[in-house]
Amino acid sequence: MSEFFHQYFDFTVMGDHFSEVLEGFFKNLLLFAVVVLLALMWGLILALIRQLPGKKFAPLRFLTIAYIDVLRAIPILIILLLISGGIPYLEFIPKDIRIPHWFGQPDPFWYSVLGLTMVYGAYMAEVYRAGIEAVPGGQFEAARSLGMSYGKAMRHVVVPQAVTKIPAPMLNEMISLLKDTTLASVVALGEAVLVSREILAESFNSSAVILAGAMFLVITLPAARLVDVLIKRNQAKVTRGAHIEVG
Amino acid sequence: MAEPMIRLEGIHKRFGALEVLKGVDLHVAKGEVVCILGPSGSGKSTFLRCVNLLEPPEKGDIYIEGNDICKGPGSGSGEQSWKLDFVRQRVGIVFQQFNLFPHKTALQNVTLAQEKVLGRSSQEARAKATELLERVGLGDKLGQYPERLSGGQQQRVAIARALAMDPHVMLFDEVTSALDPELVKEVLDTMRELAEEGMTMIVVTHEIGFAREVADRVIFMDGGVIVEEGPPAQVIDAPQEERTKQFLGLVLEH
Repeated sequence: MSEFFHQYFDFTVMGDHFSEVLEGFFKNLLLFAVVVLLALMWGLILALIRQLPGKKFAPLRFLTIAYIDVLRAIPILIILLLISGGIPYLEFIPKDIRIPHWFGQPDPFWYSVLGLTMVYGAYMAEVYRAGIEAVPGGQFEAARSLGMSYGKAMRHVVVPQAVTKIPAPMLNEMISLLKDTTLASVVALGEAVLVSREILAESFNSSAVILAGAMFLVITLPAARLVDVLIKRNQAKVTRGAHIEVG
Repeated sequence: MAEPMIRLEGIHKRFGALEVLKGVDLHVAKGEVVCILGPSGSGKSTFLRCVNLLEPPEKGDIYIEGNDICKGPGSGSGEQSWKLDFVRQRVGIVFQQFNLFPHKTALQNVTLAQEKVLGRSSQEARAKATELLERVGLGDKLGQYPERLSGGQQQRVAIARALAMDPHVMLFDEVTSALDPELVKEVLDTMRELAEEGMTMIVVTHEIGFAREVADRVIFMDGGVIVEEGPPAQVIDAPQEERTKQFLGLVLEH
């Protein structure tokens, strides 16, 4: 048994490598922060294109749905490999763009940003869509009847209400995203998992990997609890709303 | 005779296999109040929603102040911009389910479209909204969100919201049907005042008393056509058609 604890919970190993792993974890957090911002925007754009009415936009709608479906259906690892293993060699793209080192971050960071944003944009588009579809049709009609264009009705009436209906599923996506930032290890970004794996390879001890996992837990566990609270609160609101409607 | 405010001719509308409107004509003069009665499923709400192209008709012509806003068959999508803008700037509508924006206060409900559509300054929009909300008796509710208002209050905000756009015509789609009985009067009173001020109104309603008292003309619809129309004294109190008699008999019984 002590062998087991030594393999997984050697506090000396954890202590020795704490700052390295933490530094890696900060890369996960930074990657997460950048991708969340971009994916929230990209997802909303996709969701709005998907909702465009009329025959005129049918091709655009089709493309968007295809994009959303395909990107959700492929392993993110494959996307990351296709980006990091391909874009650097496309010489028709200017070097500063195909091998980016913006804001002091290395190119693996930006390849990961691109890949994760592409995929999580698709996931978030689906969440937005659920929110938009949960807004009663009468809201859109009322806005249009007041002379608002399609775009204005969406912007001022539908979307503001849609986003209040989806904090729980959105937070779930964010929890997944934070965990999926570890996939950046495959493109050699020095984040927590890559760092701890290297320690594992040198020392044959798994404690640094446990440490990395614990760092994720510190954030994701409270977040998962928060999702629960949001869902409960939303249910209470729905029940209350039903009373108002009936009463 | 001068060009009527609204002229609808031969309006047809179907939902799939169901033909809801089978050729309906209606002329409404400026300042006239027309009440449309009829059993549910008679097509009266659909007809009303054709007037502002919420339901674009499949066939038929709609003229608003002499302008053809719906050029015959084929304009089904109804999204051609200038026509929609033209209609929506002149025709206000109030719905059965109020459809207030729940994320906005009463005041913001009334200012939003003024600012975003008419381009009024927020000061101007506020002044107009305050005046209208005071007029419908809600001067003390400006900062309240819809969920804190009663159904009758919400509906009066909805009326103020439509009036804020300076419509030439107001449509009312069963606006008291979702209200508790004791809240109906306050909404009908607001509409009565509006009628007295000379607003052109088309009112789909089940309130026979209101129709008798306020309408210049009453229309009875059934099965997607106009069965009978005329002054309230004639249609409500001395109906000629069997179907009208039947319907009024059922409604007035209790």
